[in-house]
Amino acid sequence: MSQRSRMEESENLTHWETLRVVGRALRFIAPFKRQFAVKVGLMLISLLPMLMLPWPVKIIIDNVVEGHPINAPIRPYPSLIAPLMDSLAGYSPTELLFIVIAFQTTLFLIIGAFGTSGSEGETAEGYLASGYDTASRTENEANSGFSLTGGLLGLFDFRWTMRLTQALNHHYRTQLFRRVQTLPMTAFDDERIGDAVFRVMYDTPAITNACYRILLTPITAPLHILLTVTILGALYGDQPALVYSALLFLPIALLATLPLAGAVRRTSGRSRKAGATATSTAEEGMSNILAVQSLGGEDNQRERYEADSWDSFSRYRDVFRLSIYAVLIGGIPALAVGGYAYFVAIDGVIAGRLSRGDFGLLITYFFHIVASAQMLGGLWFSVQASAAGLHRVFFLMDMPGETDDPDLPALAPIRESIEIDRVDFGYPDGSPVLAGVQLRAEIGQMIALVGPAGAGKTTLAYLLPRFVSPKRGQVRVDGVDISGVSLQSLRDQIAFVFQETVLFDGTVEENIRLGRADASDAAVREAARLAGAAEFIEGLPQGYATPLGRSGGKLSVGQRQRVSLARALVREARILILDEPTSALDPETEARFVETLHALGRDRIVVVIAHRLSTIRSADEIFFLEQGRIQEQGSHARLLAVPNGSYRRFVALQSGKPD
Amino acid sequence: MASAPPNSELQGLSRLGDGSRDDRLRMRLVLRILTRCLSLLVPVRKHVILLFVGFGTLSLLLLPLGLLFVDTLWTRVLQGHPMLEIEAQFFRVPVAAATHVDSFGPDLRRLVAQRLVVWAAGLSVLIAPLFIGLYYYQVWILQRVNQKLRVDLLSHLQSLSLRFHADNAVGDAVYRLTQDSAMVTQLIQVLVLTPFTAIPQFFYSVIVIGLFAPQLALILFGVLLPSLVGGAWFSQRMRFQFRRARETNAALTGRIQETLAGIKIIKAYGAEKTEEKAFRGASHAAFDAAFGARSLYAIYGMGMFWIFGTFALFITALGTVEVMRKTELAATALGFTIWNLGLYNYFKARLGGSVESLKDIFRTWGRAQDIAIGLDRVFEVLDHEPEIRDAPDSIPLQGVREDVRFENVSFHYQADRPVLQGVSLTAQVGTITAIVGPTGSGKSTLMALLLRLFDPASGTIKIDGTNLNHFQTQSLRENISIALQENVLFGNTIGENIRFSEPGASDAQVREAARIARADAFIEALPEGYDTLLGERGSKLSTGQRQRLSIARAVLKDTPILVLDEPTAALDAVTEQQVLESLAEWGQNRAVFLITHRLSTIRQADQIAFLQRGTLAELGTHDELMTIPDGAYRSLVETEGLAAEAASQ
Repeated sequence: MSQRSRMEESENLTHWETLRVVGRALRFIAPFKRQFAVKVGLMLISLLPMLMLPWPVKIIIDNVVEGHPINAPIRPYPSLIAPLMDSLAGYSPTELLFIVIAFQTTLFLIIGAFGTSGSEGETAEGYLASGYDTASRTENEANSGFSLTGGLLGLFDFRWTMRLTQALNHHYRTQLFRRVQTLPMTAFDDERIGDAVFRVMYDTPAITNACYRILLTPITAPLHILLTVTILGALYGDQPALVYSALLFLPIALLATLPLAGAVRRTSGRSRKAGATATSTAEEGMSNILAVQSLGGEDNQRERYEADSWDSFSRYRDVFRLSIYAVLIGGIPALAVGGYAYFVAIDGVIAGRLSRGDFGLLITYFFHIVASAQMLGGLWFSVQASAAGLHRVFFLMDMPGETDDPDLPALAPIRESIEIDRVDFGYPDGSPVLAGVQLRAEIGQMIALVGPAGAGKTTLAYLLPRFVSPKRGQVRVDGVDISGVSLQSLRDQIAFVFQETVLFDGTVEENIRLGRADASDAAVREAARLAGAAEFIEGLPQGYATPLGRSGGKLSVGQRQRVSLARALVREARILILDEPTSALDPETEARFVETLHALGRDRIVVVIAHRLSTIRSADEIFFLEQGRIQEQGSHARLLAVPNGSYRRFVALQSGKPD
Repeated sequence: MASAPPNSELQGLSRLGDGSRDDRLRMRLVLRILTRCLSLLVPVRKHVILLFVGFGTLSLLLLPLGLLFVDTLWTRVLQGHPMLEIEAQFFRVPVAAATHVDSFGPDLRRLVAQRLVVWAAGLSVLIAPLFIGLYYYQVWILQRVNQKLRVDLLSHLQSLSLRFHADNAVGDAVYRLTQDSAMVTQLIQVLVLTPFTAIPQFFYSVIVIGLFAPQLALILFGVLLPSLVGGAWFSQRMRFQFRRARETNAALTGRIQETLAGIKIIKAYGAEKTEEKAFRGASHAAFDAAFGARSLYAIYGMGMFWIFGTFALFITALGTVEVMRKTELAATALGFTIWNLGLYNYFKARLGGSVESLKDIFRTWGRAQDIAIGLDRVFEVLDHEPEIRDAPDSIPLQGVREDVRFENVSFHYQADRPVLQGVSLTAQVGTITAIVGPTGSGKSTLMALLLRLFDPASGTIKIDGTNLNHFQTQSLRENISIALQENVLFGNTIGENIRFSEPGASDAQVREAARIARADAFIEALPEGYDTLLGERGSKLSTGQRQRLSIARAVLKDTPILVLDEPTAALDAVTEQQVLESLAEWGQNRAVFLITHRLSTIRQADQIAFLQRGTLAELGTHDELMTIPDGAYRSLVETEGLAAEAASQ
């Protein structure tokens, strides 16, 4: 019955599965095609000024400081730049200086970089501080905005990108949230709330992350390399060693990261899972603070959290360590290549083939190529980490949920009866809960489901609103099989009161109105009156507008139960199902409520699960369940007449007079 | 908040957009919040010192080497100026040849270049892993600091009263635990690394440039004026936005948590669409706030950089003029007397360095606003004084020998709505006291007072004659076990759930407790028995089964006081009878309190306390109370009894 395993995905994704998962994430981009295209355009536009950046530096060194005339360069200018350079010929060094500085300042305003000694620049970014754990890292990912440049262009690009990221994330976390809401009640029972919170909040950003990396890097990085190489080739065609060595960084980065890919995926998955577990533990403890405090479980709970939290930190460090290994593995060959390139360039200067301005220019371009090559090489590596998050998101999205086929006909308002016909039901793990259950109730009837704890009463009641579907047999309303009608139309006709009352952090009124959003004030008050809640609500300082606090924490259990009864009554549904509705009510309130039920029951079907004799007794028909089977059925008087009957024994014990 | 008066618990935490904490947070307080965090580093101070020694040594080693390498590369190798003696010695080339113009030819320059490249590469191979190692060490240290803050925060949250928790969303607490507390990991960066590296680096650049040309240094220094003004203008606005971003995200977390916790109702009432709409709204608000905050931060970063960059370009232009004119230097530095290309490159590198360091300082300052807001949200909780605190001279409660006495106890959540008024009763060890009364009459609250989940507004509760507040709360609660009305189970195994308050209990004890609670049969019927994992909130079990587990948990604690709050409401009559029988036997030497509506349960009590609207209406044995004509208890019994009579006929 280890149900938790159902919510746990395998950690081991193969490379092939990773590709599939990532491919699936890419399809998510479809609704945002246009915005994405703009983003690509912005990135391409950003490349151009970046390529211009080293030129002013070269002019200042060669033509201003060293005073070489512009029209007598050591080597010819590339055809692209030549007209520009020619137009500068004839200016004195001082004039050149101010022209160049003016150009730099303009460029600086637009792209936020000036590069007087290389490439000083600031890209537009909004990354805020994050901690050393997966959850806090993802806050940045969810709101990621980035640009290759700064300045006005960069700021625009940055804001555009962040809006796009957020729109994507919003879209997908809403989708995941919707999905979680449609999970069948029994499946969700075993899910840990904190884990779902973690998936919605911190795993969904993996989708955007993967999209950006997969879609943008392969476009921009090779293009950047290509442009740079073209310029280098035009300028220094006789120095191919430099270009080739720069390109070598691509295979180096790839080779360094490939062998680690699987490990990255696994550790990153574990890190996310550990983060989710820590979140769950905290959530659970806070949700059940009454229990923790009154049972003295503080130490126990703290130790659990301490262990889970440290585990999530350690797992994060595992991921971090892997990225260090990648740097170290790739670092040594990269250093060798880099050192060689430096030496070639220096040698060129010493031999007089290159000016010192060329040297600066070459080194700058060299680093551009290296950075792009590394981005490409690291692509596969960083996609792995996203894949682990994606896997967690898709796992939840793929869990079979309740499907409400919009094509199914709506259930007509019920006129006659409900019928459960030879229904078997078992938990997914195979343990049987109901066997051959047969039950019928008509409008105007109140039926009671009675039996020992664990007999299957609640599960039986769950069949009617299709919270669970029978393994065999049918549930019919007015003779129509409910599996053939739209879920919403079915549930619209049912009001269900659960054993454990759930109230939301809102006002009393809002909580009651959850039963029917458009209920009038008068209807809300009437329902409260019928549920025996009106008196205490009106005694509250703000009456119906009193905020209840988290899960109605300010009310006693009995009061909460009455609010949840009012919620069911305001719904004015034809089928009313009450699971132990009165367990926390005092006998007087209960007696009044049972009367109310009878009054209401004239044009309804009321199904009540109860242990209390005073509630059961007045039912028109009593179904006595034991071990998933209906053992006896009939009116109170008739069942009492059965000698040695189960119900009779039950009643005798209840009244404190065992026979 | 460092300077704010301790919050009384009656005041909730700051909520989304209530602005309650914004006004109080000024720049000085940002620094105060950050420095307050320094105390968090105390437990790991040895590691921090070791870390700094490591970083310091490496940096001191690299600084002169960097200078040496840059000069050798640009001035000597690339330009062909003769080497300085120290450079020649360092690279082990013939000193005499290398330091003279005529003999420092291409071959020698190539040799130096080779050695330079090899040196640089070699150093990187040696030092980079050391730096990475130190960084990893830093991550580990700060994770430990974060861990401690998280655990302290959780402990503190656990010590805050139920009233506090009723007012504050679970999701908000979760957000503070995971996201806000994480900001502590940036402390070293913000407080130590950036200020102690970037600020000296800036001044170092100013001084070096000052040696070349004082007027340029003065201009560079002057960049501070507009930067500081701009920085101050932005910080205030950023803080406001950062707080909103955190609040909206915490609210979103709360939203998801609450929806999932109430999923049954949402499904049953078809409220999925409404919930989704609310989720969308919260998600939008969170993204909008984040967008506002991060945009502002990006604009701030760029705006500051525009200031630095404009100054740097201006200074570059002036410096270029100097080198064109081959002006004499203001001071002889490193053996140079006039501006040359090497020096010019070094000047530009220093200028670039100063821009980088300014960028670093101001970026960090921007982030520090967010970090401070996050930590402020942590401290806001930590500064909440728990309602229940141990007196300094409190003593441990060691067993209960005689009785528990409530003397004239009154209590209210809100002053105008009394919950309990003047309740007095005594429960002897060895007796069962049933607490009976209509819904909302204060039964559970009376027990909450016994556990000191709240303190009475007036009156006292005494154990063996000593006021409860003389005991250490922890020891008090260790002497009371309670089976709650709402059976809370945790996402753990059945065995661990029974052991919840007694983690050290043996398997045999757990089994015995389960037997007394009559839970043994169904547990053993499960395939994995006591090792069966329960989903969160134990939803895999029926309510009756959960109820018995929570009774087993109370029994295992083996305390002199036992409180059963509606312990058998969800049990069928047969099981209830069995449970009560074994409990009666087990409870012989204990003071047992029973809150119940069930007559069959009430009858087992030695005395019955009937509460009505917070006052003790009747107190006595069943027989005594039955003699009161028109008594509240009597009419209760009659309603219920008649029903039962009627039923069994």
